[in-house]
Amino acid sequence: MKKHDRNGLLMSLPLYIFTLVFVLAPLCYMVILSFLKRAEVWGVVNEVTLDNYRNILTPVYLKTFSESLKLACICMIFIILVGYPFGYFMAKLPAVWKKRVSMLLMIPFWTSALIRMYGWIIIFRSNGVLDKILMALHITDEPLKLLYTYPAVIVGMVYALVPFMILAVYSSAEKMDWTLVEAARDLGASPVKAFFTVTFKLTMPGLMSGIMLTFIPSMGLFFIADILGGNKVVLVGNLIQEQLMKARNWPFAAALSVVLMLLTSVIIYLYRKAAKVKDLEGFY
Amino acid sequence: MKNRKRFGKLALTAMAVAAAALLTGCGAKKEAQTLNLFTWDGMFPQEVLSGFEEEYNIKINYTNFEYDEEMLAKLETAKGGDYDLVIADDYIIDIAVSEGLVQKLDKSALTNWGNIDPAFQGQFYDETDEYTVPYGAGIPLIVYDPALVDFEITGYEDLWNPSLKDNVALIGNYRVIDGIVLKTMGYSFNINDTAVIEEAGKKLLQLAPNVRLINDNNTQDYIISGEAAVAFLYTSQVTQAVAARPDLKVVYPKEGLGFGIMAGFIPSQAPNADAAHKFLDYILRPEISAQCFEYIGYVCTTKAAVPYMSKEAQASLSLPEGAQSGEFIMDISGEANEVHERIWTEFKAALD
Repeated sequence: MKKHDRNGLLMSLPLYIFTLVFVLAPLCYMVILSFLKRAEVWGVVNEVTLDNYRNILTPVYLKTFSESLKLACICMIFIILVGYPFGYFMAKLPAVWKKRVSMLLMIPFWTSALIRMYGWIIIFRSNGVLDKILMALHITDEPLKLLYTYPAVIVGMVYALVPFMILAVYSSAEKMDWTLVEAARDLGASPVKAFFTVTFKLTMPGLMSGIMLTFIPSMGLFFIADILGGNKVVLVGNLIQEQLMKARNWPFAAALSVVLMLLTSVIIYLYRKAAKVKDLEGFY
Repeated sequence: MKNRKRFGKLALTAMAVAAAALLTGCGAKKEAQTLNLFTWDGMFPQEVLSGFEEEYNIKINYTNFEYDEEMLAKLETAKGGDYDLVIADDYIIDIAVSEGLVQKLDKSALTNWGNIDPAFQGQFYDETDEYTVPYGAGIPLIVYDPALVDFEITGYEDLWNPSLKDNVALIGNYRVIDGIVLKTMGYSFNINDTAVIEEAGKKLLQLAPNVRLINDNNTQDYIISGEAAVAFLYTSQVTQAVAARPDLKVVYPKEGLGFGIMAGFIPSQAPNADAAHKFLDYILRPEISAQCFEYIGYVCTTKAAVPYMSKEAQASLSLPEGAQSGEFIMDISGEANEVHERIWTEFKAALD
């Protein structure tokens, strides 16, 4: 038994080393960097300061955090509205169709996310595909300005993230014991009531993990705001990129990243807590 | 047991083959040299690169960066090594030289040195012409579609005109955009007075309703497609916009022009400085240089190349009268830079 343990440790050693070198070390570097001062021209000087964190409290930079959260929440609503029913009905499909539909869901991932976003530009731009269809149907008379707007960013985000929600809901709906729904119906529950008292609660773990899988990345998908939003929506991700690449203020970029990481950690913690409570108390 | 033996034999042969391949591979490498070229994407036409590879039997290893800052960070990590030739913007070269990451050119190896247009030499980043060979210059300009704009645009100030609501496309360089606001107020691009920059920030906010989008890449597409009626563009983008739509009007803003030069330099620890010199000399040949400038669409910095360019290119790729007075965007104090960055973020957050 002991020998087995030692072997296990040996086997996982590369993983530990990898984590230490490529995750923990850069993380420490970033945290240290966030307390340093930027050099006048290039690089950083070894002088400890809290200025970078104080700088985040400037209203315009604080606003990027609230904007990011706002956008993530709005996207979340649409992702749930689209993803939940999709995953639910997908689980009810015959086995052959389940395979076909999940294949169709996977196919877009064969193309880079960046290129798929450029595809949306072709659809949304003035005199683009959508404009032409709307005008041909006489719904609009002249080209609309659809691209580089807030809704365009939301469409891009929802499009990019919804498959994760669908698959999460699907996997929990698929595992569900449908006889429980039948039992509820037999006992006189209406279809709606049966759905909310049985199905919804049983697929809750899927929905929750879908939220985790989509909410956190949506805080960081800054390139969608760039490409479809015409740089008009400033998210934390955009700000970090600009501070790092253009403004040469590495310590400030590091401080922003540290705060963003703390924020997502809090969200994950809250999720864990919520999930645990659910497990203990149950739903029935 | 037998199987294993056979497998062992097989593995041994495979290893021998691999070792042989490795050895011959090494041998071949020694004969053909490599030039590690580090610059933005799309800075040379393929014929020019292939022509060099064939003539000198030097393989070009073309690596890209997107931002000057990214280049300098990588060059610094490599301690001035890894790359043989870097082409980047004026202000970052200034920093690279002061950080000791650039080596002096061996002019005896540059037989075509005399082909350079002296108007682009002796600049702030290399006052004595010891480190750099200019490769293209640019002036950001306003381009507009007269069919969509009902007045004549003459300067930056016109971008604030209320009739241009949601119709202006801008490049994404904050020093340039903040800079044109400073120009409309009669100041220099490089002012260090934070109170003035704050003031410019307030004026910049008033531009927000007119801005359709901000994008640094392929900004010309938006005016070509009609997504925007007015665009403030880099030189290469202006060249492309006008080539695609000759009906577009180009404006040299009356408040004063910005000016920038791109130049090639050899890093201090370049593994193959010899190949870098050969390449610099090669792209200074008049006919090669003409090919390059017609391709990149920046103002031609090789005087001798002009006669080899097409008529249209000669007109669009030469500096207009008075453009020499354009102002470089140079490095400013850290404090001033932070204000610039903040007013720029405030501006972007105010869009839409």
